[in-house]
Parts: sequence; C-alpha cells; structure tokens
Amino acid sequence: MKTQSSITARDRKKESIQHKAFIPLVIALIVFIIFSVGCSVSIGQVPISLNDTFQILLYKISGMRFGSIEGLSRASFADIIWHIRLPRALMSMLVGIGLSLCGAVMQASVQNPLADPYILGISSGGALGATFAILLGFGFSGVLGQMGVAAWAFAGSFGAAVLVMLIAHMGGKITSAKLVLTGMVINALCSAFSNFIVYFANNAEGIKTVTFWTMGSIASATWEKLPLTAISIGIAFVFFLTQFRVLNTMLLGSEAAVTLGVSLNRYLRIYMMVSALVTGIIVSNCGTIGFVGLIIPHIVRGVVGTDHKRLIPASALFGAVFLIWADVFSRTLIHQSELPIGIITSMIGAPMFMYMLMKKGYGFGGK
Amino acid sequence: MDLQAKNMIVTLSNTEIVKDISIKVQDKQFVGLIGPNGCGKSTLLKSIYKVIKPRQGSIYLGDLDVLKSDPKSVSRIMGVVGQFNDLSFDFTVQEMVLMGRTPHKKFMEGDSEEDYKIVRAALEQVSMSGYESRSYLTLSGGEKQRVILARALAQQPSFLVMDEPTNHLDIKYQLQILSIVKQMNVGTLAALHDLELAAEYCDYLYVMKKGKVISHGAPGEVLTRQLIEEVYDVECEVYTNPITGELSIAYLPVTIPCGEKRKIK
Repeated sequence: MKTQSSITARDRKKESIQHKAFIPLVIALIVFIIFSVGCSVSIGQVPISLNDTFQILLYKISGMRFGSIEGLSRASFADIIWHIRLPRALMSMLVGIGLSLCGAVMQASVQNPLADPYILGISSGGALGATFAILLGFGFSGVLGQMGVAAWAFAGSFGAAVLVMLIAHMGGKITSAKLVLTGMVINALCSAFSNFIVYFANNAEGIKTVTFWTMGSIASATWEKLPLTAISIGIAFVFFLTQFRVLNTMLLGSEAAVTLGVSLNRYLRIYMMVSALVTGIIVSNCGTIGFVGLIIPHIVRGVVGTDHKRLIPASALFGAVFLIWADVFSRTLIHQSELPIGIITSMIGAPMFMYMLMKKGYGFGGK
Repeated sequence: MDLQAKNMIVTLSNTEIVKDISIKVQDKQFVGLIGPNGCGKSTLLKSIYKVIKPRQGSIYLGDLDVLKSDPKSVSRIMGVVGQFNDLSFDFTVQEMVLMGRTPHKKFMEGDSEEDYKIVRAALEQVSMSGYESRSYLTLSGGEKQRVILARALAQQPSFLVMDEPTNHLDIKYQLQILSIVKQMNVGTLAALHDLELAAEYCDYLYVMKKGKVISHGAPGEVLTRQLIEEVYDVECEVYTNPITGELSIAYLPVTIPCGEKRKIK
C-alpha cells in the first residue's frame, strides 16, 4: 500500500510537470536560447563583454538605428560578432533543433529507442561524399567549387537514405526491423568505401580534414549558409509539430495504428524523406555531430513524457540550447585551438544520459 | 451495426490461411470465433480490421465497404482489441486511452474537455479509474489489457473486434472483460480460446479448422463432444454444470502412444 501511494504521489508530481508546467517550460527554454546566443557570441578567443555584445547586436539588428558601436574598445569586435560568431551561434541553434527533431521523429518512426537521425545511413553516406570530394577532388568548378564538399556530402547522405528506403521497401511493406538493419548495412558499406579512399590517399592534410569533418564542426557557418538551413529546418519543425497524433500512434506499432485509423507506411515514407533532407543539409554543413539526435529526445522524454505534442517542441528547443553551449565549449575548452563539436556533444551528452539512466530509473518516457 | 464478411480468402506468403470463409454478425450480437491454434482466426480478424489485405472477399460493416474505405473512416465505427500491445516507449494510461480518440480528430485538432470525459468514463468502465497518470509499461498484463479495452471504448465504436482478449488474464479479469463487452451491447466479433467462456458469453459461434468454418450456430448446438474431438483432437464430455446451469466441458487426458513416449525419452 505504501509503495502504491508513493508511486501515485510521484506520478502526480510528474504529471504536473508534463501538463501544467509545459507552457512555462517552453517560454523558459526560448528565453534561455536567446540568452545562450548572447553568451555564445560574447565568449571566445577574444573575450567581448556582454555589454559591448549587446550594443553591437542592438546596433546591427535594429539596422543601425539604436545602440552604438562608437564606444567599443576595438572596432574589429563588431565584425567578429556579426560576421563570425553570430552566424555560428545561429547555425548551432538550427543544427540542435534539426538533429533533436529528426531524432525524436526517427525514434517514433522505427519504434526503436536506439534510433537517431543517422539511422538511414546518412552519416556514413555524407562522410563518403565528403571524403570523395576532399581526397579525390571531384568538387564542382566555379561557384559550386566552394560548395564542393558540402554538395558532395549532401548527395552522399541523401543518396544513402534513399537507397536504404528503397532496399527496405523491397519485398513488401517497410518494417522497422528491416529499416534499421538496412541502415546499418549501408552505414557499414559507406564507411568501408570512405576508409578505402582514406587508406590509399597520400594526402596527410586531406586526411586530417576528413577526420575533422567526420567529427563535426560548426566553424564553417556563414550568413550565406544560414537561409537554406533555417528554411528547411523551420519547415520541418512546423510540419512535425502538426504530426503529433500520427507520431503518437506510430509508437503503438503499425497494427494498432491501423486500428486507430492511421496507415503508417504512408506517413513513414514522408517522415523519413523530410528527416533525410534536414539531416542531409545539416551533415553537409557541419559534418556528423553524434549523439545529439539520440539523447536529447530521451532526456526531454524523461521530463515532458512521450506525447509528441510536448516532446517535439521541447526536444527541438532543448537541442538548440545543448548545441549552442556545446559549440561554446568546443571553441574555448582548449586555448588557441578548436575541438570538433562531435567530441564535445558525446563528452557532455554521454554522462548526462548515464545519470538519467541510473538516477531516475528512466523508462523511455515513463517513470 | 452488423458485419458481413463474404467469401474471404487470405493468403500469407503464398499459403492459403483463410479458405473461403463467410461470417455474419448481426447488430448487437456477440459472436465468438473458436478453433485450435493456427486455424486462421487471427488472420481472418486481421483482414477484417484492415491489417492484412485479403486476396478475395468482401466485408461490409453496415453500409460501409471496409476493404474500399480508408482506415480512418473504418476506425470511427470499429474498435479493435488486438493481441500485441507491447511498446518500446512508455505512455501514461491517460495518454494511451486518449489515443482512442484519434479517429475522430481532424488535422491539428486538440483534445477537448469532451475527450477527457470520454476517457474518464472508459477507464471507469474497465475499473481503472485513478490509474490515469500511471505509466503503461509498469502495469500488469491484466491491467494493460483493460487499458487497451478502454482505448477501444474511447473510440466509441458501434462494432468491436477482439483477438483473444482474455489471453494471459486471471479468471477474474477474463470474466470482467467479457462482461464489459457484453454490456456495451454493440456487435462484437471475438476470437476466443476458452470454450466454456465462449459458450457463456457468445450468442453465436463460428468454429474454424484449417482455414475453414466447419460449424456454426448457437453455442449449445455447436459445442458437442463430437465437434470438439474433431476440431481440437481432444476427448471430452460436454455437460450442464449443476451449479451454474451453463454448458461445461470436461477434457479427458490425452493418451500418448507408448512408442512415441519412449522416443521422447
């Protein structure tokens, strides 16, 4: 009897977090994202005071109407903040949103807690494309030449995803087990080809670039790259926000979903295409940033529950916070040097996840 | 609402599982589907609730052509309690039952006070009130099954399909679940494995063996010693229980031939 009452008390507390406190949680997260972006642009190799940062941002964002950059200790601060750090902070935010979003959607689509955005072979496909471009120099000429690595990475990741879906679709219905296994096979195949290229490449600098690329970095973020990323992630975010009911029924399995009027196969294909596009764009911009898409949805599920009406927005926002700070650490942890962000996300993310598993008795959305 | 399935043929990976079966459930009738494991009960039910596409046949639920309609319009009038309800992710009991409202929801429509009321009533009906915020995965088998039934009730169906709803349940919950369904007073088609329960609760029985219906009728007429022996390959005595006045079956031990017994050793 005692255990019964303690369970219900705990459940009630949990429920209050899940329902009543959800809107405040979302507002708090949005405020914290704005604050994090502010911190992120002021922290760096060249420390710029929060006050200066605020002045510069106000000045630039208001179209030079408000604020002033006259009183700055150094004029270059404005450029550092506006041209280097702000696009980077915004890119981290977008990547965080995109990866967590796709992670939550993929976990629902294949009904597997181990799923992440890369499950369709996207990471290895992207890495193969990038390796190809970096080491064999098959980049495009002219304007596309600069986009070379990114374009090849996108082609690789999206190609791999499409291939996985096609193979999984062969011989009847797509099942989640078939998808996960096909994804693993394509992952292995693409890795093997990238390793093959790396092994025979006589290019130490190129190999270092490939390594850096596969660990992920937001360093290449520029204003020019932001619109495409922002639009695609924004559309995907809004789209998945509307899909909470289907995502919920997906978790019941395809059979139960049909009896609730949702034929999963159709949605599954659309969701995977959207996820593959978003993840492909992220991979082509920033390489493969591991662990984010896997753990953020799990961490958030532990707080707001499994209902996708809350899980999708909360995951996206928390993912944004997580990645903004991961990027700050990747830039500042080692003086005068930059760590690949994938190392940071795993180094912070793994202990966080371990803590959750041990301390809270995490049950994939339950208590 | 009445259900009419006619000339159903279902094949799974080139094996004919259901061989030309026709079944009829009249409005508010509780019809049982019995037969040994592997006789095609589940496959037939799955083709009725649109998980498997039959190779041939027609299914009408009232005026609705089930095979030609989309799952959503079917799920508005047909509730299903299936056999497999395992989850990899957890939901609260309330969220689980609330999903029964899915067929009635338009794109982007939220959950109304009305929906929560329906959910509360459904949980009340399966005596699971107070479990709303419990997590589904921590429930016992019987509780899970009752939550799934509550989800089907929340669909407010005019027809119910159940695939062995009493599987793995204690006798109390077996009786409870069947009584709840009986009380709902909607057309019901249920695969059942307990013949005595089937006799007690069903108005009509279809007996299946190897993908065919070999007998159908009122339980008292269908469940005879000869039929059970033929279908289940078990010797038994059918009698009227002096205490309950219901049909009862006493199964006689299976005799294993001596030669085989030695081989097993």
